[in-house]
This record gives sequence, C-alpha cells and structure tokens, in this order.
Amino acid sequence: MKRKLTPYIMLAPGTILMLVLVFYPILRTFLYSLQRMKLTEPGNTKFIGLQNYIMIFKDPDFWYALSNSAVILVSVVLFTAVVGMLIALLLNVDTKIKGVLMAVAIIPWSLPPIVNGVMWRWIFHPSYGLMNRVLINLYVISEPVQWLSERWSVILIVALVVAWRCIPFCSIVILSAMQSIPTQVYESACIDGSNNFQTFKRITLPLLMPSLGIVLTSTSITAINVFDEIVSLSGYGDVSKTLMLQAYLKTFSFLDYGLGSAMTYIIMVVAGVLGLIYIRNVYKEVDYI
Amino acid sequence: MRKMTRRVVSLCCCIAMAASVTACGGGTKTEQTQQDTTAGKQGEKTDAEKTGGPSVEDGEITVMVPPWAEPSQELLNSFTADTGIKVTMNIVGWDDIRNKVSIAAVGKKAPADVIEVDWSWVGEFGAADWFEPINLTEDEKADMPTVSSFQYGDNIIALPYANDFRLGYFNQEHFKKIGMDQAPENWDDMIKACKKIKADGICEYPLSFTLSATEAATTSLIWMTMSRYGDFFNSDFSVNKDNVIASLTSIDKIVKEDKLIDPASQNMKDVEVYEKITTGAASFMVGPTYFIGRINNPEYSSVVGQLSPLLIPGNGTTKTATFALPEGIGISKYSENKGAALKFVQWYTSPDIQVQLYKDQGSIPTRTEALQELIDDGIMVDGQVMVDQSQYIVSPFPGGIPSWYAEMSNTIYNSVNQMVTGSLTPEQAYEKISAKVNELNQ
Amino acid sequence: MRKKKTILFGTLYSLAVLVFVLFALGPILWSFIMSITPQTELVGNTTRLMPVSPTFDNYRKLLSNVDQQGELFRNGMLNSLKAAVVSLIIGIPISVLCAYPMSRLKFRGSGFVRNILLFTMAIPVFATIIPLYRMYANMDLLDNLVALIMVYITSFLPLSVWLLISYFDTLPKELEEAAYVDGCSQFRTMLSIIMPVSYPIIFADTLIVFLTTWNQFQIPLILAPSKMTKPIAVVVSEFVTKSSVDYGLMNAGGILAIIPPAIIAIIFRKFLMKGIVGGATKG
Repeated sequence: MKRKLTPYIMLAPGTILMLVLVFYPILRTFLYSLQRMKLTEPGNTKFIGLQNYIMIFKDPDFWYALSNSAVILVSVVLFTAVVGMLIALLLNVDTKIKGVLMAVAIIPWSLPPIVNGVMWRWIFHPSYGLMNRVLINLYVISEPVQWLSERWSVILIVALVVAWRCIPFCSIVILSAMQSIPTQVYESACIDGSNNFQTFKRITLPLLMPSLGIVLTSTSITAINVFDEIVSLSGYGDVSKTLMLQAYLKTFSFLDYGLGSAMTYIIMVVAGVLGLIYIRNVYKEVDYI
Repeated sequence: MRKMTRRVVSLCCCIAMAASVTACGGGTKTEQTQQDTTAGKQGEKTDAEKTGGPSVEDGEITVMVPPWAEPSQELLNSFTADTGIKVTMNIVGWDDIRNKVSIAAVGKKAPADVIEVDWSWVGEFGAADWFEPINLTEDEKADMPTVSSFQYGDNIIALPYANDFRLGYFNQEHFKKIGMDQAPENWDDMIKACKKIKADGICEYPLSFTLSATEAATTSLIWMTMSRYGDFFNSDFSVNKDNVIASLTSIDKIVKEDKLIDPASQNMKDVEVYEKITTGAASFMVGPTYFIGRINNPEYSSVVGQLSPLLIPGNGTTKTATFALPEGIGISKYSENKGAALKFVQWYTSPDIQVQLYKDQGSIPTRTEALQELIDDGIMVDGQVMVDQSQYIVSPFPGGIPSWYAEMSNTIYNSVNQMVTGSLTPEQAYEKISAKVNELNQ
Repeated sequence: MRKKKTILFGTLYSLAVLVFVLFALGPILWSFIMSITPQTELVGNTTRLMPVSPTFDNYRKLLSNVDQQGELFRNGMLNSLKAAVVSLIIGIPISVLCAYPMSRLKFRGSGFVRNILLFTMAIPVFATIIPLYRMYANMDLLDNLVALIMVYITSFLPLSVWLLISYFDTLPKELEEAAYVDGCSQFRTMLSIIMPVSYPIIFADTLIVFLTTWNQFQIPLILAPSKMTKPIAVVVSEFVTKSSVDYGLMNAGGILAIIPPAIIAIIFRKFLMKGIVGGATKG
C-alpha cells in the first residue's frame, strides 16, 4: 500500500506550492477579469461576465498589439533557433579554445532583462548609440539613424535583444544533443555517400528536433512575455505596443483591473496553446538505429 | 563508490558555501547596520528612538518616497527625538510607487503610511479615495500656493514638498553670437533667433523639446499651448480646437521644416532632452525648476557660465505662462497610524525642513517663506527668475486634475509622437486627442 | 576525426569565432565603455568610441563603503546571492521530488500532470502577482525571503522538472530493480541509487535555477519592496530616477551584477552539457 502512495507523497510539496501560489492566484485574476473593476470608481465594481473579453476583441489596438507580439514571437524563435544552431556547430568543433568559447556563449544569459534592455538601448540610441557612432565613423551614414522611431525597426530590434538573451540556452541544448548522436550514424551516412550538407539536413537536424522542442517552447514563452526590454528600449509608446505592454498599461496605468486581467488571461492562453502545439508536433522520436 | 564520494564532497561544499554566504550575509548586515548608525545613515534603530516616547504600536510609521525625497538620517533622528515616532523609509522608484499603491489598494491595504503623491496622480488617487484628507488653515494655504494642485473636490489629499514647474533656460553665448544680449521674450522672436543660430552654424538643433511617447511630451504640448496660444482646455473640459491645432501645427513645422529640434528627441527620455542644454547641444529649452541648480554646476554641466534661466516666452499679449508639476506626500487611507503619519507630513513640509532639504537634496521648497529665505541668504542662485515665473503659474485643468489623467496623457503623447514621426497630420493628432478626452469625460 | 582541418577551414573557423565573440560580448563591452565614461561626455553628441577622460568613478561609488549607492548596491548583491542560494537549497529537492515519480514510478495521472506543468510555464507574472500580493500582505509575508523564494520556485519549477524528467528517462530501468529486490523503499532508492548517477543534471539544474533567480525583477519589485530584500536587478534599475539618469552608474552596476552568475556559469558549464546530453535526445 505504501508503495502506491509514495509517488503522491513525493509530488506533494511541489503540487501544494503550485496550487497555492499559482493556481489560486490565476483563479482570482480570472474572477477579476469577469468584473468591471476600475479602481478610480471604487463603488462601481460589478460582475459583467465576459464583457471585458468582448471589449478587448473589439478594440483595434488589441489586434495591432497582437500583430506586434506575433512578429516578435516569430522573429525571436527563428533567430534563436538559427543562430543557436550555428553557435552549437561552432562549439562542436574540437579545438583548444572550445571551453572558453562555451563560457563566452553562456554570459549573455546572466543579464536580467531590464539591464539587457538598457544595454541595447545604448547601442541603438537615436543620437549617441554605438551603432550610430560606428556607422558614422565608417562613413556609411552621415546623420544618426533613428532606430527606435519606426515600428518595424523597433520590433526587429526588440526581437534581436530578446533572442540574444535566449540564444545561450538554445545553443547549449543543441550542442548537447549533437554530441550525443552516436558516431556510427555519421559513419554509415558517409559510407552511403552523403556529403556534409546532406548529412546535416537529413540526419542531424531530425535527430535534434526533440531537444529543440523544449528550447522553442521556452523561447516562445519568453518572447510573448517580453516586457522589461520593450520599456527600456521604447517606453510605453503605441508604436511598439505588444500584448503584454497593453495589459500592463490597462492594469497599472489606467487602473482598469478588470480589463487588464482579461488581457493577461488572453496572453496566458495564447502562450499555453503555443506550447502544446510545439510539444505535439516537434516532439517526435526519431530512430535511425 | 568514488563517484559517490565525489558527490558527497560536492554536496558538502555546496552546503558549506550556502551556510557561509547566509551567515556572512547576516553578519555583514548587522555590521552594516552598525556602520550605518555610526556613519549617520539609514538604519533601523538609533539611541534616540530607544528612549521613551509613546508605545511602539502608536509610534511607528513607514514612508514610501522616491530616491530624491529621502531625508538624511540626522533629519529623521531629529524628528524621532521630537515626537517619539519611529520612521522606516521605503525608497521606491517613482513609477513603481503608483503600481504598489494600486495593487495594495485592491486588497484594501496600504504599502506605507505616508506615500508620495505626484500632481498627475491627484485625480486618480482622489477618485479612488486612497488618501486621508488633510486640514490646513487659510494662512498655511496662502504660504503654500501649490497646495491647490493637491485638492480633490473639497479635500486636500496631500501636501506638496517639491516645487517643480516649467522655466526657460538659454545659452547666452549662442545668443550673443547672433548679436543678442538678451533672449527674446515671445515665441515668434525666439524661433527666428533659433533659426539664425542654426543657419550660422552655432548649434545644429537649438531647440530642446521632448517628442517621445513619454509623459513629458504631454506636459510639453500643454505649456507650449498655454504660453503661445492660450487655454488648452475649455471650461467644459473639451479640448480648445484653435489653440491646440495651432500649437501642434507650429511644433510640426519647427520639427520638419525649420529642423530646429533634434529628431532623436522622438525617442529620448525627458531627462536626456533636458541634458542637451547642459552639454551645449541646445540653445534654448523649457525645463524643470531643479535645473537651476544644475546649469552652472560643473558636476552636471559642461557649459558652466553660459547658461541662464529666463521666463518662458509669451506671444506678445501674454507675457508668459507655465504650470506646476509639484510632488507631495499624503497619508494613506488604509494606514493604521494616521495620527503619527500626519505629524510626519506636517514636519516634512514645514519651512525649516524645506530649507534643509533644499540644501541636502536640491528639492525646491513649496513654502514661499522657505523659498524667500533661501534667496535672501544667497543660497539659491538665480532664484529670482524662478520666483517671478511662479507668479504666472496657471492650472490648465478646469476643476482640477481628472481621474483619467493617465489615459488621456497616453493618447496625447502618442499623438504628438506619431505626428512628428509622420504618421499623423496635426489635425489628425488633434482629432485623436479631442476624441479621447471627450470619451473619458463622460 | 570527422573533419580534416584544412587551411580554409581554419580561417573560416577563426572568422566565425571572431564574429561569435563580438556578438556575444560586444554589447557588454560597450556597456563597460559607457560605465567608465564621465557623465558629461556620456550625453554629448560625439562620435568617438572611447571616452576622452575615462574614469572609474562609478565603480568606486558602487564598491565603496561610504557612498549611499555603494551601500545600496552591496545590499542588492547580497540579497540576490542569498535568494539564489536559498532557492537552490529548497528548489532543487522539490524539483527532484516532483520529477522522479513522473519519470520512474508508475501512477495514475502522470501524463496529465506533465501537461499541466507545461501549461504553467506559460503563465505570465502579471496574471498572478496581484492576488499574490494581497495574500502576502494579509499574511504579513512581504519582504520575507523564504516567502519570496516560494514564488521564485513556482516560476522555475516547470522548466527544472522538465529537464530532470528528460534525464531520468534515459536511465535504464534496471537500476532500481536491484534495490527493490533488496527491499528498499522507493524513496530510499531514489536517494541512494538514482541521485549519485544524476549529478550532472543536478548541477545543470543548479546553474539554471541560479541564473533564473538572479535575473528576477518583476516579482521582487512588487513583493519585496524594502531594502532588506531588494535584489540587484531592482537596485540597478533604480539608478534611473525621474530627475537624472545616471547611465554610467547603471552600466557599471550591470557589469558588476553579471560577475557572480558569470562565474557560476563558467564553473558549471561542463555539467550543463553532460546533464542535458542525457536528456536531449529522448522525451
């Protein structure tokens, strides 16, 4: 009898923690989202069902922010995956400095997002940022470029900044996966006449897919939840508004807790669904042996 | 088994490290507290606080203010010695204070007993009923003119401690080089002068103005309209079409045709824009009063001796106009110690303490008595211009600051920003602002 | 063995390394340059890449015993370190306790729990922070380090457990059987058989937990308002005030704040790889 209970006992501490500190709060937040709750009208709080959600979907700002978030998401994931892969390939090469390079790769991971955002702001600062200084010194441009004033420019820069922070984790996971592929697989491919590129495409890549699963999930969720970096780079401006930023503005700036909670919920559902999609599709076992 | 030993050893190392860090941390903390007390800085208990006074429950308050409002430890000690009330300072970044107040209020709690109240929050905080009304005598009100900004309905919800309003600053050298000893007194002349400064190659972007999607763009549009054209709001709180469109159009022209404003201002924080003048990158700006202490201070300015304050230019008929952006402190309605909190608020805004705070922190006093003392004693240099400008302070908001200020400001600064980046015409920008204000005013 | 090192390859490799290092460390290097630039030079419209008169004033301020910023900074560093260590002490055992049954023991609902776990990864901070604040305020747990750590743990638990499960899945099933035959309880088996073999992933997990806790910003901003628990990310962000932006100081703070996690990352990197190798190819 005891044996049957042990798993549940082991799971208990974690489960209790999650129930109390996560599930109960999101339930409460859901309750807030079903109410009209503007803090500047304290006497006016009342239950309004799904009206907050309907209001959000009707708001053109929401769709604008959604498109920004979507572009950031896709850009971050693509950039992280591609550059992460390249770095993993680089680190895979057996040289004396391999260890040092790996340490270098991990360092961007140690930056808190807000410090990261401020750091990149000083690279893309409209008048005296690093990019402008370098480009002017190289005579590529004569006037400083306003990197952070145009919508797509800001969005792509945000994507770059977030990806920069996510790449270490991605490259390490891919590297580990690469190094655990048995050499026989490559040897038999060689014998069969496959060149480097084909080997990579047909054998290495599919074998890496499962490990990519968790990396892409984690990166996607980070990309959707990005907040501190956007604020550091371009403040609370409408042009670069994302879902998360809008949720924050509605909640803490406009003090409409009902609407803000609803927005946060929508973000959560979107992110959760994405995660499930990844795990279902990307996460397939590949057996070549 | 060798692996096992290795594992155990590493585990022991980890535990030892953890234990040492935590112990070290604890040790350093007490060390620090002692250091603090001896160095006269932030600490929890001092000898003065331990000697008598009312019971611990009554005599304890927390105060939440931004970094620049923190009084020195000596000042706090003197307060505790006089009243027996123990004060714990909770220093929080300005933006975050608002978040904390609102989050706490959802749970009907107070993040602190005494909390900072910025002028722009008065409408919201008043409507949400988060602060305890404070009573002042007529004399006191007269001595603290900015207290009117902190009135919601009939109640005063906070007392102002820092007197910020907009003042002009110009670089005398730049203007001398085009043959002017004094800066112009109205906008048309000022813009002509700036064009000449640019044309003569003295300064590429003479005018310093915030155009980014931040709060400062809103206040900039407001003082620009007020000083050059007239009221921003009509008495029924609709937006004055003629004045605001004229103002927006003129800003648009200055940015795009005359090119007097640095395009980088579209993305710079207000502080960065203000600092252009202290680095010699601008000839004229309208900025906060605390810059008086900066323009000729070698720690902040690289053009010491060249800068001077002046009244904001008018339009020929109006001499000048400005509005006040003061900061105050108030008592939270959910505080459990309102009596003690009130004592602190009164003490903090008393004339002597205000003089001391100016000397320590540079906060401009809100009591005329204190201000005059600093000017008379020669401590506040260039103070007279400031006092003169303060005679022209007007509130642009009929009937007080609205509870929907934040949402309105968000639309205004975004409209201004999108106008200068080319997505909106001045008319469209006005339409957006007007529509939003009308929507919120319902 | 797999690639012959030709000269072309050598040059390509060196070029790639250069680009890589520039990409990974370039921004940080620029941050460092800014941290040694005096305030007046920082905001000027120059195109110079190095400051005319570099100064280590900012570092002096942050590391000093007397300056207020130095005190704030050291407090922040200490708080972050404390939080990270306590997170590890409490968090890793809880992760292991959760991961082990889901991977090695059969019980009803394990699939369900795994999916829920994935879902919790997606929950943004703002969705839970307000009710959490209320809870903590009512129970007087604000500024309580352990209470704060509990919240941190819920944020890294999903990822941590996931990695552990991936690793445990690759261990042969036979490992425990011998112990069961001898009459060991499941718990004891976990401790004495599985744990010693799992040290790579534990160390990898340690690194990840450390980094995640070190980077925490939004949660402590709301739940840990006072100086006693404020972590370094919050402290550094506060060098930007309404009336002045001391970018030099902020950059210096950022640079110094990278040092502890960078050291930990460098020490633990070998384990990071070993740990993830075990789990990366399979579910």
